[in-house]
Amino acid sequence: MFEEFKNARKLLGLNARNLDYIRPYNKKKAKRLADDKILSKRALKKGGIPVPKLLAKIKSAEELENFDWTALPSTFALKPNRGFGGGGILVVYGRKKLSRKIVQAETQDMPDPVWIKSDGSKVTVQDLKSHILNILDGAFSLSNLPDVAFFEERLTLLKLFKPYAYKGIPDIRVIVFNRIPVMAMLRLPTRESGGKANLQQGGIGVGIDLTSGVTTTAVLGKGKIIDYVPGTRMLLSGIRIPYWKDILLLAVKSQEISGMGFLGADVAIDRERGPVFLEINARPGLGIQVANLAGLRERLERIKGLKIKTAARGVRVGRDLFGGEVEEEVEDISGRKVIGTIEKIKLIGRDGKSVEVEAKIDTGAGFTSIDIDLAQQLGFNDTVTEYQKIEATYKDIEHLSKQERWSIYKHIPHLESTLVINSASGSTYRPTIRITVVMDGVVIPTRVTLINRAHLKYPIIIGKRNLRKFLIDVNK
Amino acid sequence: MNNVSPIISFLMQQGVPLDTVILLLMLPVIVTLIAFFRQVVGIKAFGIYTPAIVTFAFLAVPQLRYGVIVFISVILVGMLMRFALKGLRILYLPRVAITLSIIAFSILALLSLGGYMQRTGLASVSIFPILIMITIVEKFVATQIEKGNKTAIILAVETLVISLVGYYLASWPALVRGIVAFPWMILITIPINIFLGKWDGLRLTEYMRFKDVLKNLK
Repeated sequence: MFEEFKNARKLLGLNARNLDYIRPYNKKKAKRLADDKILSKRALKKGGIPVPKLLAKIKSAEELENFDWTALPSTFALKPNRGFGGGGILVVYGRKKLSRKIVQAETQDMPDPVWIKSDGSKVTVQDLKSHILNILDGAFSLSNLPDVAFFEERLTLLKLFKPYAYKGIPDIRVIVFNRIPVMAMLRLPTRESGGKANLQQGGIGVGIDLTSGVTTTAVLGKGKIIDYVPGTRMLLSGIRIPYWKDILLLAVKSQEISGMGFLGADVAIDRERGPVFLEINARPGLGIQVANLAGLRERLERIKGLKIKTAARGVRVGRDLFGGEVEEEVEDISGRKVIGTIEKIKLIGRDGKSVEVEAKIDTGAGFTSIDIDLAQQLGFNDTVTEYQKIEATYKDIEHLSKQERWSIYKHIPHLESTLVINSASGSTYRPTIRITVVMDGVVIPTRVTLINRAHLKYPIIIGKRNLRKFLIDVNK
Repeated sequence: MNNVSPIISFLMQQGVPLDTVILLLMLPVIVTLIAFFRQVVGIKAFGIYTPAIVTFAFLAVPQLRYGVIVFISVILVGMLMRFALKGLRILYLPRVAITLSIIAFSILALLSLGGYMQRTGLASVSIFPILIMITIVEKFVATQIEKGNKTAIILAVETLVISLVGYYLASWPALVRGIVAFPWMILITIPINIFLGKWDGLRLTEYMRFKDVLKNLK
C-alpha cells in the first residue's frame, strides 16, 4: 500500500497537470493560439512546419448560405476551430458518384454533391449545413463559445498503418516539455472512435519507445490494456514508426513556435508528404501514461530546469533519457544505415541527368551493375551504341591481354574501364561507366558495369563494393 | 435552540429568518464539499453550480425522495427527448426549449399521478425546487451533445450522488447546531479550499484509472 502511494508520485494526475505544468508554463496568450486551430495552423506554417492544407472556413450563417459546395473535394475533414478531444470532427472519404441519368441530362444546375463517411453512410449538403450550424453555435467549442468551422485537406494513409487503423488516419502524440520530448504514443482510430484517433473517443493508444521509435504496449479507450488490434491478430507492439527523429523534431519545433512550455503535439504521416503536423494541445490527456505503462510526472521532474539550446539537442536528450526499453537503434551504434533488400535509389549520370529506380541489394555481386536502357537514360547514349557495335563475346577475346582488350574498347566515349565479371551464368566481359548512386541519403560516386537486364525484374543491382556504409535487414 | 451565537440573534432581530441564515451559511460547506469531491475523489458532476443548486432543491422539498423522483424524471425525459428530436435537425436553443417544455408537461403529469395515488407529498412540493431541477436539463443536454450520452448519464448520476451527500451533510443536526452556535466556524472552509486548490496528488478515481501503470512502476 505504501509502495503504491510512493509510485503514485511518479504519475501525472489532472490536479498536478493543471496546477504544476499548465498553469506555470502555458501562458494565456499561447493557450489561446493553441486552442485556435486556424490561427495555430498559420503560425506553424510560417515557422516552416508542414501542416494540412486549409480548404475553406465558414465564420457565420451568412457565409454558410453562400458557400459553394461543389468546390469541396471528394475527401476532406470538417472541424470546429476551437474543438477539443476530437469532438465535432466530420471526415468524408469520397463523393457519391452522380447517377448516369443526371450526367446525361446535362442540366445547368449541378445537383448538390453527396459524400460518404467512414461507416459508409451518406453525408448530404443538408447534413453538413446543420453540423456547421452546430459548430457556429459553439456546441463543440471550449466553454460553448460561438465558433468557426473549417474544411481541411484529409491526409492519405501510410501503407504501414493500413492493417492497424480502422478508416481514419493514425497520428503520433508527443508530450513536449522544456524543449524535450518526454513521452509519445501512436493513436489508432477504431470502429468505435469513428475514424478519429482520440482515446476519449475510443481509439487505441500505443506507447512508443522514445529512443528507437518502436511501439511497446497499448491501451484501448481510456484504460483497457490490449496486445492486438481488437478482432484481428495484428500485434500492436514492435511497429517501427518511420521518420521517427523528424517527428520528434517537429514536435519540439512546434513548442518553440507556440510559446507554451508544456504541450501535446500531434503529428500524422502522409503517404506522399511524410510527417505532417496536425495540432498543438495545451491540455494533453493523461492516457498516454497507460499506453506506455510509465509515469509522466517522474519524467517531467527530471528535466525541469534543464537548459536546452536547440530543438535537435532537446530531441537527443529526450531519446537518451526516456527510451531504451527496445534495443538501441542499430544505426546510431554502428554509424551505418540499415536498408532492406530492395531500396528506392537515385542515380545521377552525365549532364545532371538523374533517374529514381528500385534497386536490388545483392551481396553476392562485387560490382553494381545497371541495365543498358538505364544507362541511356542517364546520358550514356553514345557509350551504349558504340559498345553494341562491337560484337565480341567473352570467348572471342579471352585469349587477349589486358592492353589488347582495352584497345578494342578505348575509343568508346565516357567509358571508364572494362572488366571480366564471373557470375553464376558464366563469365562476361563488361564495360563500366562512372555514375553517382544516392541510397538512403548516402551519396556514393562509383563505377558500375553495363549489362542487358531487360529480362530481369530490377534494372539495377547494388553490389558489395557500394554497400560498405550499410547494414542489410532482410525483414525490411 | 439553546445555544445561539450573538451574530445569529442579531441577524434575526433585523428580521432575517433563521432558515435563510442557516442556508446561506451552509452554502460554503456545500461548495467546499463539491470541490473536495472534484479534487480529491475525482467525481466531476456538472460543475459546481448544478450540484449545489440541486442540494438546495433537495433541502427545500418536504421529503427527500420526492426531490429524487423529480430529479430522475427530469433527466429521464431529457434523455428520451434527445432521441425524439434527433431526426428533426434543429438548432441547440430551440431544441433545449422544446425539451424543457416537454419536461414541464411531464412534471405536471407526475404531480397529478402522485395525487391520484394518494401521495399528496409529491403535489405539495413547492414550485421553486421543481423549476430549479428542470433548468439543470440544459447542462445535461449540452453534455449529451458534446460528450455523448454515456458521459452525460455518468455526470448526472455523479451530480445526484454529490447532491445527496450535500443534503445529508446540510441537514445533519449536529452541524446545524454548530453553525448556529459558532457561525464563524464557516471561515474554516477558506483554508480548506486553499489546500484543495494546491493539492496536486492523484485523485481517487485516478488510482483506478492508472492501476495497470501503478502495477508496472517499480
